[in-house]
Amino acid sequence: MSKEVLRTEHVAKSFGAVSALEDVSIRLNRGEVLGLLGDNGAGKSTLMKILTGFHKPSSGKLFFEGQETELKSVSHARSLGIEPVYQDLALVNGLNVYHNMFLQREIMYGGMFRILNDGAMRERARKQLKEMGVHIPSVDVEIAKLSGGQRQAIAVARSVYANAKVLLLDEPTAAMGVKESTMILDLVRRLKEKGEVSIIIVAHNYAQIFDFCDRINLLQNGKITFDQRTKDTSVEQLTSLVVNEYRAARENIGRS
Amino acid sequence: MAKDIADSLPQPQDQPRRGERRGLLRRILRSLVHFREASIAGAGILLVICFQVTAPAFLSPGNIANLAGYAATTAIIAAGEVLVLICGEVDLSVGQVYALSPFVMFYAHQAGIPYVPAILLGLIVASVVGFINGLLTVVLRIPSFIATLGTFYLINGFTLTISGGFPVQPPAVAIITNTFGGNWVSQILWAIGIALVFQFVLRKTRWGLHTIATGGNLLGASEVGVKVGFIKVGNFILCSVLGGLAGTLDAFRIGSIDPLAGGSEIMFMAIASAVIGGTLLTGGSGTIIGAFFGAIVLGVLKDGFTLLGISAYLFDMILGGAILITMLINVRLSLIRAVGGGQ
Amino acid sequence: MKRINLLPGVSDSYRGVSRREALRRAASAGALISLSPLAGFGVSSAEAAEEALGKFPKHPQWKFTFVNHVTTNPFFVPTRYGAEDACALLGCSYQWTGSEKSIATDMVNALNTAVSAGVDGIAVCLVDLAAFNDPVEKALKAGIPVVSYNADAKGNKRLCYIGQDLFQSGKGLGERIVELVPEGEVVGFIATPGQLNIQPRLDGAKAAIKESGKNITLNEIASGAALNDEVSAVEAYYAGHPNIKGMFAVDAGSTAAVAKAMAGHELQKKGVHAGGFDLLPTTLEAISKGDLDFTIDQQPYLQGFYTVMVLFLYKISGGLTGPSDIDTGLSFLTKANVEPFLKTQSRYEGNSSEEKVLKRSGAI
Repeated sequence: MSKEVLRTEHVAKSFGAVSALEDVSIRLNRGEVLGLLGDNGAGKSTLMKILTGFHKPSSGKLFFEGQETELKSVSHARSLGIEPVYQDLALVNGLNVYHNMFLQREIMYGGMFRILNDGAMRERARKQLKEMGVHIPSVDVEIAKLSGGQRQAIAVARSVYANAKVLLLDEPTAAMGVKESTMILDLVRRLKEKGEVSIIIVAHNYAQIFDFCDRINLLQNGKITFDQRTKDTSVEQLTSLVVNEYRAARENIGRS
Repeated sequence: MAKDIADSLPQPQDQPRRGERRGLLRRILRSLVHFREASIAGAGILLVICFQVTAPAFLSPGNIANLAGYAATTAIIAAGEVLVLICGEVDLSVGQVYALSPFVMFYAHQAGIPYVPAILLGLIVASVVGFINGLLTVVLRIPSFIATLGTFYLINGFTLTISGGFPVQPPAVAIITNTFGGNWVSQILWAIGIALVFQFVLRKTRWGLHTIATGGNLLGASEVGVKVGFIKVGNFILCSVLGGLAGTLDAFRIGSIDPLAGGSEIMFMAIASAVIGGTLLTGGSGTIIGAFFGAIVLGVLKDGFTLLGISAYLFDMILGGAILITMLINVRLSLIRAVGGGQ
Repeated sequence: MKRINLLPGVSDSYRGVSRREALRRAASAGALISLSPLAGFGVSSAEAAEEALGKFPKHPQWKFTFVNHVTTNPFFVPTRYGAEDACALLGCSYQWTGSEKSIATDMVNALNTAVSAGVDGIAVCLVDLAAFNDPVEKALKAGIPVVSYNADAKGNKRLCYIGQDLFQSGKGLGERIVELVPEGEVVGFIATPGQLNIQPRLDGAKAAIKESGKNITLNEIASGAALNDEVSAVEAYYAGHPNIKGMFAVDAGSTAAVAKAMAGHELQKKGVHAGGFDLLPTTLEAISKGDLDFTIDQQPYLQGFYTVMVLFLYKISGGLTGPSDIDTGLSFLTKANVEPFLKTQSRYEGNSSEEKVLKRSGAI
């Protein structure tokens, strides 16, 4: 079996007249953590939404575990094992922790009857969170009452325990302070150490993800402009790439 | 932060040795705040006591039958509205389906269809209206307020047209009449049964969970894969069917099928029952048992004030005031709950 | 003192207050407010006041409930004044309740509640053929006399009917139409078809026209229960049928709407005739100006006054006397005799609540 678990070839996506992605070819290997960096508007979220099956690419191919695949829907992608953790977390405020964790994947009594098995979900949720080292006082609490870090952790836990093969994290520490960011990043590190999941993590803060990413891709204006293993590059090199981009953009504005 | 979360959990009983009575009282008070249904039920009990004191005839068997008349069918419609409200939508046309279904049943029966299938046909037509409401809202993206306002007038006109504006009488077969709301026991049983069934659906089935998810975080729920469009349309259908059922029950109760029946009045009462009972107008949260008690509270208010002899003009003022006060108490209690409690 | 913040989710003030304290505050406020119904808010006293008026002996202050189908409709304001005056005369009291929009369910509920309240008499407008039969029977079984006013239904067990003979008034309308219109198409507007307080009039008119043998076609058009809707309905109809020979109506609102349309398009000059029922101000003015040929008065004041008298007599005589069908009249108001109605504002017409003696004017 090949090492690669997810690959895109020349994927492009337009929304009407707006071109979000022009030509994106990325590759994620088994057990790897791939850091996807780029500015706002570079197309990171769009790429993530294509990888999760939420959008269909306007052109280009997608390969899952070496096979060319068309992701028909989010459910289809999830059934393959591709799990997203969205920026808005896709958590429902009116529900408690275990209902959120098992949304769309509920444990139910006897096949036909579709009655929720709250007891089983409660137990499993507790177990899973404990295994991942996430500290939530009670799985019965309404999710709205938890902190941002805890909510993020639950969103991640939900995906992991959906037997994800590929985890897609879109700016997980975006709205968080240092303490909570640390909690999430520790969680990701633990997952990497277990080696069962392959992860693509979209981020802004290079320093944060640098130490546990295996490779870094830089997305600029809808194209991948940089693809290196982290040990072959440095935070400084990345920063200078981005600064150059800014300079070029400013010059363009000045000229036009 | 951890302390906040620790505070939000139900507190262990401090000093359990001192006075069992105190602990019991505290537990009762706490349940009032923790379960939103308890607060509206409490308001209802308080009102019943007040009215019984001022008008001893209030709890007479005859008047309890009247209460059923005021509250039962409103509660049934409210159950459907709760589901739609939780999804973040609203159904203004339910009062018109209330008038239409019994007419469909009547004409079906006239055409030779036996009683029970005729009633079912009335409900099927109601479900079609709900389906239309759902399509307009989900597929054509018309805000549900406008979409159901449109069907409100459409169905009203349709009912008036097929009936020629004339009221008719439902079949007067004893077993049919008695099962379908002809007497107050039947009405109460239908209302309670529906409240229990749908509360169960809301809390213990996948459908209910996905309904709450759809209302609580539409984008997020759809990202997770919940079939939000399906859920919304389905709930619109349920609401209309319950509206048609309520209309059929009332038609048997008063022995007349009237194109003017229902309308906006009963729809507003149903939505008011839902909101007073603890369902948020903004969606994402609701309770059918609460709506049931809300309908009872409204029925108690109307029946109680009529019993006390209040005349029409003053009646409306007092009813309006009482609704506002009941809602105010409810809002206060829910604020306390939001800060302190769980559920 | 912390300010109360009514926005959910921004409950800072409550964070400062312990849960126990907040609970206590809400509970006491709620209890105080909920006890207010006991304070009475204009509720009539439950104790019976013993009155002795005129030559009648002392009797409790009997309470009569009027169940109406359009409780807030101005047509019934004189009815309420009539009931009020009779109650004052006889030492009784009345309650005015029912439905605002002709919804039978609400009326039945109100009737049943009156029975449970053990009132001394019930008066109800029987606007539906079947809905009131069982409730009225239940009331009678509970020992409460029930009469109907303004509208009557065959087969109902009420003790008597006080109001206009609806079918006869319709025939009167039809006969007048036959007098005014030689032949052709005329329209009859009715607010809510099928309702027993107005449908029989239209039926009566049709019957009278048929009896006359003249070649007149009467088209029935529904105009709606609210005055504004009725005006639009009449206007719309006229726009689509400009060759109509006559516009007539069988209820107060539709008549006023017809009056407006006749005046607005100066249809009398074009030879169109019009007429209707009841004495809304628009209607009276139109008659005085010549836009409307006639209107029929059913004397709503009497429908309240005589009803109370009937129920009172039933109670004081122990049921021996009292009930008797009372026709509150069918009088035609035309340009010749409309002036006194226009010039005065009185309780009898409903446009003034003042108690005063009115001076008669014009010929009898």
